[in-house]
Amino acid sequence: MATNALELSGIEAFYGDSHVLHAVTFACGPARLLGLLGRNGAGKSTCMNVTVGLLAPRRGDIFVFGHRVTGLPPEQIAARGVALVPQGRRIFKSLTVRENLVVAARAPTDGRPASWTLETVFAMFPRLGERVNHIAAYLSGGEQQMLAIGRALMGNPRVLLMDEPSEGLAPQIVHEVMNTIRKLKESGLSIVLVEQNPTLVFDVADDIVILNSGRVAVVSTPAKLKQENVDLRQHLGVF
Amino acid sequence: MTFWLVLTVNSITFGGLLFLLSAGFSLIFGLMRIPNLTHGSLFMLGAYFGATFIGGYLTLQFDFWVAAVLAALSVAVFGAVIERLLLRQLPGQQMAQVLVTLGISFMVADFCLLLWGGDPINVATPQGLAGFVRAGPAVFPLYRLGVIAIAAAIAAALWLLLDRTRLGAMIRAGVDDPDMARVVGIRVSQLFTIVFALGAGLAAFAGVVGAPILSVYPGLDQDMLPLALVVVILGGSGSLLGSFVGSIIIGFIYNFGQALFPELAYFVLFLPMLLVLILRPQGLFGRFVP
Ligand SMILES: Nc1ncnc2c1ncn2[C@@H]1O[C@H](COP(=O)(O)OP(=O)(O)OP(=O)(O)O)[C@@H](O)[C@H]1O
Ligand SMILES: [Mg+2]
Repeated sequence: MATNALELSGIEAFYGDSHVLHAVTFACGPARLLGLLGRNGAGKSTCMNVTVGLLAPRRGDIFVFGHRVTGLPPEQIAARGVALVPQGRRIFKSLTVRENLVVAARAPTDGRPASWTLETVFAMFPRLGERVNHIAAYLSGGEQQMLAIGRALMGNPRVLLMDEPSEGLAPQIVHEVMNTIRKLKESGLSIVLVEQNPTLVFDVADDIVILNSGRVAVVSTPAKLKQENVDLRQHLGVF
Repeated sequence: MTFWLVLTVNSITFGGLLFLLSAGFSLIFGLMRIPNLTHGSLFMLGAYFGATFIGGYLTLQFDFWVAAVLAALSVAVFGAVIERLLLRQLPGQQMAQVLVTLGISFMVADFCLLLWGGDPINVATPQGLAGFVRAGPAVFPLYRLGVIAIAAAIAAALWLLLDRTRLGAMIRAGVDDPDMARVVGIRVSQLFTIVFALGAGLAAFAGVVGAPILSVYPGLDQDMLPLALVVVILGGSGSLLGSFVGSIIIGFIYNFGQALFPELAYFVLFLPMLLVLILRPQGLFGRFVP
């Protein structure tokens, strides 16, 4: 089997004294989409923080395409081809749309020509192209989410992490975002999609990991989960 | 009439010097949240370095402008070292930063006293700018007009750098959300060193450029630091435009205050600062964060 795009292995993570991730192990294969599910506070964002280097795990390892990145600073992990669309979007509010994208621009890690540039991002999100000189703070929620995705793509990543990209968006916009994710997956990007809502994820995911109180509770695929008729409510709360 | 005209030019000149001094102070405070109390010392250190390079004390004698650039570079390196070795260890601890930078300023003052003694050093006006300009009955030293031009040019360059380049956008991104900036690959820590060094270099440059007007003497640091503080509080920290406008305002208040109410010069100087602190604590042009 080819090396995994992203692998977390035996991760123990703490915020101060509170133990948040317990022996978390999962992997996302190349060009696959892993849906990471779990209810509020399950530790999904913490997995993201650990992966991008914002939180050093106390034990365990993280591999990106076979390279160990555990303990590297965020900017070096970015250089290994990992990009994050963070929960809450966290665009640079006082920068313009263009500046938000330009500051994140980076050539691909493996010497391929850059497939994501201002032009290709604007082609994917024409709304951003129309607002190129607007201050990001004044964009609508949906536009800010597009900007956060565009910013992540400008790094020409090999692994894209998306932390609840549908949060707080109108259904129509959620639909657009999911279409975008589908296109990105078809382009060969390896994606980890964090969500609370399983129905969104089951449509697009190849693999599913469910976290419960900081532990991996389920590793499966959407098809199997549907076939086995597993009661997800036990892990995800009621929807 | 002539009196007022000359006073006005002097005010703008002094405002230009204050801008060179306070732009760095404002950026360092606005971007890195570090109240850098060594800023007056960096100005004085630059002035002493410049005077030394110009005066030929080091066998070599440098042209005024070469000396100014050399002094700025040396002090920029000194600033970078302070940032890397000391301030870097105290992220977010403003009290500790205040104490450390204050401590360094005392050490720099002692060091200067030891090396250059207690007598003021006069620095000659650079050749080419030594003359006077006549405008009707009024006579202006050419150098003062030159200082205004230099300050304006540097203000424009700084604005272009911060507002129109990718580096500038990266610095602003690092201020908006340092963690997220690192996640997208921006080396925030390097940027902060660059900003600190730039601020230190500008202060030193101001020290040399100001030397023919102010001369160089022990205590110059403590004369300049409060002015930088007032400018930044008035203009708003982190705002280049704020430093610019604040510097010009303080340049006028300082010069007119000394000419008209010499006994109340400091009162007149700090009054607008108090008013701004009470009425508009973020300063006239406080950084825009929606
Ligand atoms: N900075 C922090 N300091 C301390 N505790 C934190 C911090 N961030 C998160 N936690 C705690 O860690 C646990 C996991 O949080 P995390 O943000 O990873 O959950 P999540 O699965 O992303 O939840 P949500 O769906 O609400 O985003 C929670 O109990 C949370 O309260
Ligand atoms: Mg979360």
